[in-house]
Amino acid sequence: MSKRKAEGAVPDLDLTPIMNLVTILIPFLIMAAQFVHLAVIDSTLPAIGPPSTEPPPPDEKPPLQLSLGLSGKGISILGADMVLYPDGNKPAAVEGEEKPPTLPCKSGTCTTVDDYDWAELAAKLNLIKDQYPDDQNVILVPDGNIRYEILVKAMDVTREDPNNKTETGARELFPFVVIAGGAI
Amino acid sequence: MAVKKARRPNGGNGGLNINSMMDMMTIILVFLLKSYSTTDVSVAASDELELPFSSAQKVPEIAVNLVVEQGKILVDGVPAVNLTKVDDAATGQKVTAVPEDELRGQTITRLYDVLLAKAEEAKRIGEASGKEDLKFKGRILIQVDKDMPFSVVRTVMYTAGQAQFGEFKFVVYKME
Repeated sequence: MSKRKAEGAVPDLDLTPIMNLVTILIPFLIMAAQFVHLAVIDSTLPAIGPPSTEPPPPDEKPPLQLSLGLSGKGISILGADMVLYPDGNKPAAVEGEEKPPTLPCKSGTCTTVDDYDWAELAAKLNLIKDQYPDDQNVILVPDGNIRYEILVKAMDVTREDPNNKTETGARELFPFVVIAGGAI
Repeated sequence: MAVKKARRPNGGNGGLNINSMMDMMTIILVFLLKSYSTTDVSVAASDELELPFSSAQKVPEIAVNLVVEQGKILVDGVPAVNLTKVDDAATGQKVTAVPEDELRGQTITRLYDVLLAKAEEAKRIGEASGKEDLKFKGRILIQVDKDMPFSVVRTVMYTAGQAQFGEFKFVVYKME
C-alpha cells in the first residue's frame, strides 16, 4: 500500500534554474526600461524668399498667412481677419494704448500655461481651417519673456484638435509650425 | 499531557519554498518587458532640465543633441556655454539669459563654433559613407527646460541656424 503511494507522487519542480534566468533578466530589463516616453515637435527656421511681383487674380481668395502672437497679455491671431471678422468690425485699439490681443488672458496677465484661453484658440483655428482646408502653416511669434512650456502648448493646440474627432482621429489643423523671432 | 509536535512536510529538513518569490519575479518581469523600449535619444533628468509635456507623437531620430538647461548649454553632453540669471524688467524676477560677452549680435559665439564643427564632421561622415540616409540634413534635437524664456531659445535657434542646422526637433515628454 505504501509502495504504491510513493510511485504515484509527483516530485516537486526544481525552480532554481528559472529563478537564475529571471534574476539575470531583471537587471538587464531595468537598464533598458523607459518609464517616460519622448517625442519630437518639428519646426524650421522661417524661409525668406523674394517677394511675389505678380498680384493675385481678383476673383481668388486672399492667401492665408496665419500667425499667432504670444504675449503676457494673451494670444493675438494675425493674418486671418477675413475669417474672424467677416463684416470688417475688428475691434480697434484705444488711442494711446496697445492693441488688445484677440484672446486675452483669463486674469488679465498670463503667468502660467493655464492662464491662456486655449479652448477658444482651438475654436478659432477650427473656424479658419474650415475656410482654408489646404493650408497647413502657422507662424508663432512669441515675446521674449514667454516660457518655453507655453510655446510647446501653443504648438500642440495649432497642430490638432483632440476634441474635434474625425474618421482618422483628432482633426489636423496647422501642423507645420515656424517659430519667428518675435519681439525682443 | 504530552504535546504532539507538528511534523514538517519535507521530513523536517526545512527547505526554502521559493514559489512566492517566483510569483513576484514573474510579475516584475512582465512589467519590465512592457516598459522595455529602445530609442536613440535619452534625457539626463536633473533639477536644471525638465522637459514640457506635449501631445506630439513623432519618435525622435538620432541627430546632434543640443540641451538648454537653466545653467548651461550642452552639445552632445559636453558643456558649451554657461548661462546667467538677470532681473526681468517686467516682473522683477530672476530669469535665465545668455551672458552679453558670449553674444555677437544674436549669435552665441562659442556655441556657434561647436555646432559648426559638428556640422562639418557630420558632413564629412555623410560623404564618406556614401549613403543617402547618413547625409547631413541639418537636423538638430533641442531639449529645453520648460521654464526657459523664449529669448534664450530664440538666440539658440538663431545660432543653430547660422551653423547650418535648420531643421529643429524639439524633444518633449509624450503625454500618455
